[in-house]
Amino acid sequence: MEPRRWQVTVSRDRTDSARPDAASLPDGADDRTLVEACRSGRREAFDVIVERHQRQVYQLCYRFAGNHEDASDLAQDVFIRAYRGLHSFKGQSAFSTWLYRIAVNVCLNRVGARSQRWASLDAAEQADTREERADARILRGERAAEVRAAIARLPKKQRAALILRVYHDLPHDQIAAIVGSSVGAVKANFFHALANLKKLLNTK
Amino acid sequence: MKHLSQAEFVDLVESRSPLPAARARHAEECERCRTEAESLRTMRLVASSDAIPEPSPLFWDHFSARVAEQVRHEPRPAAPATGWRMNPFATWAAAGTIAAMLITTALSRATLHAPAPHMANETAVAMPVSDVGPVDDLDNDQAWAVVRAAAADVAWEDVTAAGLTAHPADVENAALQLNAAERVELVRLLNADLKRNGA
Repeated sequence: MEPRRWQVTVSRDRTDSARPDAASLPDGADDRTLVEACRSGRREAFDVIVERHQRQVYQLCYRFAGNHEDASDLAQDVFIRAYRGLHSFKGQSAFSTWLYRIAVNVCLNRVGARSQRWASLDAAEQADTREERADARILRGERAAEVRAAIARLPKKQRAALILRVYHDLPHDQIAAIVGSSVGAVKANFFHALANLKKLLNTK
Repeated sequence: MKHLSQAEFVDLVESRSPLPAARARHAEECERCRTEAESLRTMRLVASSDAIPEPSPLFWDHFSARVAEQVRHEPRPAAPATGWRMNPFATWAAAGTIAAMLITTALSRATLHAPAPHMANETAVAMPVSDVGPVDDLDNDQAWAVVRAAAADVAWEDVTAAGLTAHPADVENAALQLNAAERVELVRLLNADLKRNGA
């Protein structure tokens, strides 16, 4: 009787090339190549795009939403909208710029109406922890909550400029391309965002 | 000297693009600008010191799987929209233009090929034709005005690019597809037009 042969597969780290479906995609394929692959019907190429950009998109959404659950939902919405809109990506800007634009629009549309509620929630949390000010960690957390609440109160364009500049370290010209305005307008919004942040934090 | 502008303050605070020497000197010497810049710098530092919590490593796998699952139910993304899909209004306008051209051409060609109707036949079909509502005055006809308005801004290049140009056989086909009542009406309109132009 012939001995049974076992095939041993060594699992690899989760990388683009480790995906069985993505195996035939060029190694290190750039975003545009992946977009073309998506358009030609290869959905697995979009999985690679998601893995590549999910962290940045999630972090951006978190900055707008202020909590993990909403950030996760927003980020998912961003990618679905991006997939649906792949036909409109013309490659005139970097794919990441295009994706950021979708993310900022989704966040501003969905989060704007709720920011006031968050601010009041944060205020309530601060009141609850006021007795524990001796603990430096709580103080830090409280300060972070204050900053986030203040950022949430900024006008939309100022908030977008601040988040993209400070937390994503994007240059002003890329921010301008994302929000659809001039570099001068982005700088002005950033200036007002910092000035208003100071006012909001000082009035607490 | 003028105080720093908002953009100059941002450049100063971020130290990315250095200010011109004169402006940099003003920023150092002007108490008001120096205070403002220091305040902005502090606020930037306060904002940037806030780190968001990193989700569990498992979250990323779950997240991408969730997106992939949803994408599976989406229709395949199309190629970039070009031509007529870019501007549906122009397409309808172009279609209206072509339709108008075909009708006009058919009217002119029909006078050459259509047999002259006998009076008896004309009488026989007079009733249905009247139901159609013949167009006596194109200049004041509302339906025609809509077509004219829709086609007013359409460039011929757009029509050609949209693949809506007429071919010689199209006119023949259009004329041949007219029924008896339509031919009678066509002849009537042509006769009226010829009389009006004194032919």
